[in-house]
Amino acid sequence: MKPALKFIFAALVVGGFATVPSWGSAVLVQFGINALILATLAQSWNIIGGYTGYPSFGNSVFYGLGGYGVAIALVQYQLPSAVGLILGVVLAVLFAFLLGLPVLRLRGHYFAIATLGLTEVMTAIVSNLDIAGRNVGLILPLAKGDTLFLELSLALLVVTTLAVAWISRSRFGFGLIAIRENEVAAAVMGVNTTLYKILAFALCAVFSALAGGIHAYWITYLDPGSAFDVSLNVRMIIMAVFGGPGTIFGPALGAFALAAISEILASKITSLASIFFGVVIVVAIIFMPRGVADLAQNFRRFGWRYFQENIKAHRV
Amino acid sequence: MDNILEVRNLTKRFHGLLAIDRVTFALERNQILGLIGPNGAGKTTLVSLVSGTLQPTEGSVLFEGKPIHRLAGFRRALLGIARTFQVMRPFPGLTVLDNVAVGALFGAAGSTRQLAAAREDANRWLHFVGLDHRVRQRADALGGPDRKRLELAKALAMRPKLLLLDEVMAGLNPVEIEEVITVIKKVRDQGISIVVIEHVMKAIQSLSDRLLVLHHGEKIAEGKPQEVLRNDQVIAAYLGSKRR
Amino acid sequence: MQLLWQILVNGVLLGGLYALMALGLVLVWGVLNIVNLAHGALIMLGAYVCYYFFTGLGWDPFAALPVAMSLLFCLGYLIQRWVLNLVIRAPMFNSLLVTFGLEVVITYLAQLLFSADFRTVNPSYAGANFSFFGATVPWVRVLAFGVALALTFALWLFLDHTRIGRAIRATAQNLVAARLYGVNPRQLYALTFGIGAALAGAAGALYGVVSQINPYIGAGLTGKSFAIAIIGGLEKSLYVLVGGLFLGVVEALTALYIGPTYTDVVSFGILVLVLIVRPTGLLGRTA
Repeated sequence: MKPALKFIFAALVVGGFATVPSWGSAVLVQFGINALILATLAQSWNIIGGYTGYPSFGNSVFYGLGGYGVAIALVQYQLPSAVGLILGVVLAVLFAFLLGLPVLRLRGHYFAIATLGLTEVMTAIVSNLDIAGRNVGLILPLAKGDTLFLELSLALLVVTTLAVAWISRSRFGFGLIAIRENEVAAAVMGVNTTLYKILAFALCAVFSALAGGIHAYWITYLDPGSAFDVSLNVRMIIMAVFGGPGTIFGPALGAFALAAISEILASKITSLASIFFGVVIVVAIIFMPRGVADLAQNFRRFGWRYFQENIKAHRV
Repeated sequence: MDNILEVRNLTKRFHGLLAIDRVTFALERNQILGLIGPNGAGKTTLVSLVSGTLQPTEGSVLFEGKPIHRLAGFRRALLGIARTFQVMRPFPGLTVLDNVAVGALFGAAGSTRQLAAAREDANRWLHFVGLDHRVRQRADALGGPDRKRLELAKALAMRPKLLLLDEVMAGLNPVEIEEVITVIKKVRDQGISIVVIEHVMKAIQSLSDRLLVLHHGEKIAEGKPQEVLRNDQVIAAYLGSKRR
Repeated sequence: MQLLWQILVNGVLLGGLYALMALGLVLVWGVLNIVNLAHGALIMLGAYVCYYFFTGLGWDPFAALPVAMSLLFCLGYLIQRWVLNLVIRAPMFNSLLVTFGLEVVITYLAQLLFSADFRTVNPSYAGANFSFFGATVPWVRVLAFGVALALTFALWLFLDHTRIGRAIRATAQNLVAARLYGVNPRQLYALTFGIGAALAGAAGALYGVVSQINPYIGAGLTGKSFAIAIIGGLEKSLYVLVGGLFLGVVEALTALYIGPTYTDVVSFGILVLVLIVRPTGLLGRTA
């Protein structure tokens, strides 16, 4: 697809989401909000994982801090929700700077596991904080209707996607891509790798925290287990990887597709939806490791051989 | 005398192993210094110490009179030092054009900051090294000789004042070597000072204004090519074990 | 003082089991360069095998342990042969995601088949204990500890003193080294993962005896196994034992002096700290 066509298509999708409340059922609106939040998370993971090549399992910390920012502001201090959102973003960005510095020195497995460990540590710490309601969690005051949240999450996804679009054609983004492709060479060419990685991590933190804040405000309940859920982190990764990491629209599309399929299956049997999700992960990584975006590009040229080539390239 | 690079008593130890042992030399602006020595003599290590890929154990590196040996690699790139890698390090998933565009976007201060302009710049450098026909391909689709050219184009796009070339001719055929020599001479004529590591004796003789010979991490000779290559110590240590 | 002694004994006994839990993970990670996120789910399956042989057929849980190991070996062999072998040369992140997919599939299949209820394996001798210099020590825990040590030792013997074991160790240095030993790499990888899974099965069988089980325990156990693997490093099975004992004791001490809800903060905090300070493990060589 030509870039212009892609943007027209994207505009249509945005328009479609915006009008859902006027014609869709309440269930559809709720599904829309969930899908938009997931797409935002996948899209912000795309910045650190897709563009910079650092497979973070710590993004659910940003999401959780965003949620707790709103919850603590509303419940403990009766502050307006906007202040809560800002608080959440500040916490998440602080976390990204403080822990990004040591953790982003690690590569590959070690980075993934360190961020996974950080998520567990944060879950455990928050479970012990009185201000966060310990492991019981916090119940937020009921907010206005779903339409508002649909609009909020839609706006957030649009902004996140615009940020990614900017990254893909800016000097900053080229620095990130250079780091992903070869970090030593990037440094030699003049990329301040430490700074760039931390900025990318912090940018993820901003968008993920906003998503977490909006979600907590909408769902009106928050506990450590759901706020820092590691499997949510893996979901955003899968969605981004499924759609096409390091592309502008892939992660959001991947999120919509997988969210829709899960939703349909979950309405039958909950565990079946999860099993399906697991199977999709395994099959997708084996047959199309570079995501739908790459599949769409190369399938026409290679046909079914595309899948064979992918397997041949990576098996024993 | 205007020295762009001065290296004083530079020493690098890896876990007790002495890779570079108190090496001292200077490079005059707009000159080409050939760096030769048997395999494992420490040539690449020396280049890495100057480019900032490695940090020295002792000694100092002065670039345009200012000490830079404590600076991170990227800061040295911003000052105007560019290098190529013997084991080539392209950005495999990017097109040849964008590989070079990264150099134009970063590299020495004053380089362009706009992507479109950087790509234009990249196009010119790719033409300069004779890679125009490969611009749209992914870098990992290139063969050996073309990768060498790409390495050179990436480094040049950084607009360096000092260029460190680590075996850019290895594996090339005589015709290709002649082409690269021409390119390197053209680069020097633009006012760029160059350090060349090379095994191809003929090439390095015709290119270099001066030669520096490393052996077991020590400098054993330095001077005009003809003189150095007649030096007994050099013949014993280096040429005696040479295959060419 | 009495309490501290009791806590230390508990910590050491638990640490032995921890070591066995991490052993399979470390083997697979070190040899195949696969970070197996499904490891905890395999431990969970081992526990259920033991549970069903105990409640259904009335087998002693320790007698069911070899059964759990054999079944898990077969499952592990098949998983590597038909799934993971397909991504073994892909970037490590791909195999990591595939193992996560497997974790999800195993966990929710278990939920469908076994229900989400908590289960316990309670042999008649579960309450029996003895006094060890004033500390009360349950026999099952000592037995579990002994089996864990024996299996760790057995793995070490196997890797050091058999041809296949040496081929596996050579594979850790170089993925195609198996050929030098006249072994087909595909089968050797499958065998290695099978052994890893069998060790997970054994750990699960023992875990079921000392603790409650349900289909969701896997993720947490994977996390603990990581912490142990990172603390001990990936080089020697003996180091895993040290890592396990260390974590067991540290958790016990944390529960005593700071509070039981802080054990995760400490164990995962140590994991992150060790990674940042010494990525090769506390006992590993410097990079």
